[in-house]
Amino acid sequence: MNLLREELSWITPELCLTLFACVALLVDLFVQKGRESVMVGFFSLMGLLATAFFLYRQYGVTPPAQPVFGCMVVDPFSTLFKLFAVGALAFVVLFTMLSRQTRPDGYGEFYFILLCAGLGAFFLASTYNLLLMYLGLELLSIASYILAGYAKGNRRSGEAAMKYVIFGAVASGVMLYGFTLLYGMTGSIDLTVIGPKLRDQFALDHGTIPISVATGLCLAGFAYKISAAPFHFWTPDVYEGAPTPVTTFLAVASKGAGFAALLRFLQAGFIPDRTLGGPEAMMGYSDKLGTLVAVLAALTMTLGNLAALGQTNLKRMLAYSSIAHAGYVLMGVATMNREGFSSVLFYLVVYYFMNLGAFGVVMYYANTTGDEQIDDLKGLGWRSPLVAITMVAFLVALVGLPPTAGFIGKWFLFTAAVKKGFLWLAVVAGINSAISLFYYFRVARAMWLRPEEEAKYATVHASPAFAALLLVLAVGTVWFGVGFDSLLRYCDYSQNLLR
Amino acid sequence: MSFFGAPVFFLAAALFALGIYGFMTRRNLIVVLMSIELMLNAANLTFLAAARGTAQANEASSYAVFVILVAAAEVAVGLALVLAVFRLKRDSDIDAARDLRG
Repeated sequence: MNLLREELSWITPELCLTLFACVALLVDLFVQKGRESVMVGFFSLMGLLATAFFLYRQYGVTPPAQPVFGCMVVDPFSTLFKLFAVGALAFVVLFTMLSRQTRPDGYGEFYFILLCAGLGAFFLASTYNLLLMYLGLELLSIASYILAGYAKGNRRSGEAAMKYVIFGAVASGVMLYGFTLLYGMTGSIDLTVIGPKLRDQFALDHGTIPISVATGLCLAGFAYKISAAPFHFWTPDVYEGAPTPVTTFLAVASKGAGFAALLRFLQAGFIPDRTLGGPEAMMGYSDKLGTLVAVLAALTMTLGNLAALGQTNLKRMLAYSSIAHAGYVLMGVATMNREGFSSVLFYLVVYYFMNLGAFGVVMYYANTTGDEQIDDLKGLGWRSPLVAITMVAFLVALVGLPPTAGFIGKWFLFTAAVKKGFLWLAVVAGINSAISLFYYFRVARAMWLRPEEEAKYATVHASPAFAALLLVLAVGTVWFGVGFDSLLRYCDYSQNLLR
Repeated sequence: MSFFGAPVFFLAAALFALGIYGFMTRRNLIVVLMSIELMLNAANLTFLAAARGTAQANEASSYAVFVILVAAAEVAVGLALVLAVFRLKRDSDIDAARDLRG
């Protein structure tokens, strides 16, 4: 009994989130008509706050030696990603409360599904068990399909959701098949067991073809989730068609969870313990895998950036930009070592601030004007200076220029790649950053370098709540560009205990 | 490694390949969803075949039950979305989905 209580105490954040998600569904029934969005939204925020509190209590506590219930790993790495997901969810809930794009009825379900998606991200980030990883991924994905199609009467939202569910189901099916092949080879679905078993197989020199096929299939599923080439083609359509708060969720929380699972998968299964000195064949295989990821990274960022150049729709441009950013982050994954992985964590936190901010501005703009074209932004700088100034901060961070966090984050990724010997990759990434300057600058030019008379829309002031949200994100974007020490230390620390 | 020589493994691989082929070539959304089911069932078959005759046979069956459950949820959502799009466009062909491009 005591053992059960102790194990349950480790998963209080998950229990808390589940409870609030279910009750949110009920709260919806008892709230006065027309006020569901605000009331249920506040209730969900309370739930997220409580979850964050329980997560904070796990911060710095020595993690349990064995996975909880044999499959949930509670360590600083998962706590970091869970906090990341809770923060992103809180912003998405706030955006939804301030947005007019989602349907006026059925908010209870909307928040319920959103919190369930968050729960999926929790599981995805904190397990070495392939089955639980698959279930977490599906919980996150199925909830995301519904959210993407939430604007029911809207043709574009429906089409986005349909494309998402078709491609998503195929990708997760491919990944599951890869998992079953790993199971067939090793007789276990626990990555901590699979890793040593694979090492034995490498030592016996059975040939790497079956392992390569299985790994390739698994990687395809992860690449889909983080929208890396060549599985990125769904991203622009889904991001453009889905309601903007949902797009924000997909671009930030869903992608972050995908990266968390990918890091765990590679770390436990495919990185030989250098100190123990794994078999030579496994070292070689791990390096080959790294090179494959490096090629994917180069491909992803180049495709994303080149396609973004020609876009006229702001949301679609940001979708391609988020593909490009997945490429930059993969650069850290390709190093297959601790330094690279902690630079990935750092960049994901930075990415979180700048993308939440950029999508927040898009939402504000679409809400007030009903328009998402870049050219129609002209004069916005003179009419709504606060929004435009924060947008410039986010754009500068997205390009990766100092003094923002985008610069520091990219700096760490570049150094990790160069140290590993991927100089060519760093050069490609540098050229890509220069290309990205053009399309990000186009937005800034439209906002500021056109006279006020050309402005298409009259002044619409941002509501105080919304302005405060944007300011928080902008301050975060700039703050981590200067005071990045503590965050970097935490990222490194969470890598340290990653088993 | 003997597992990869077993006939049932090849059956599963063939099912999986059929699923991929159907997904690539068929234009009807319902058939595409059916192809996805084939892929998931190939995975199930591999799970069961891999554990056949070992001490883990029961364990593997429970994994398969989880996968069946998820597949059902996925198809439920998929069909609902196909239906929603069909209501708006009067067409269940995948090529009808072309409002978003560029």
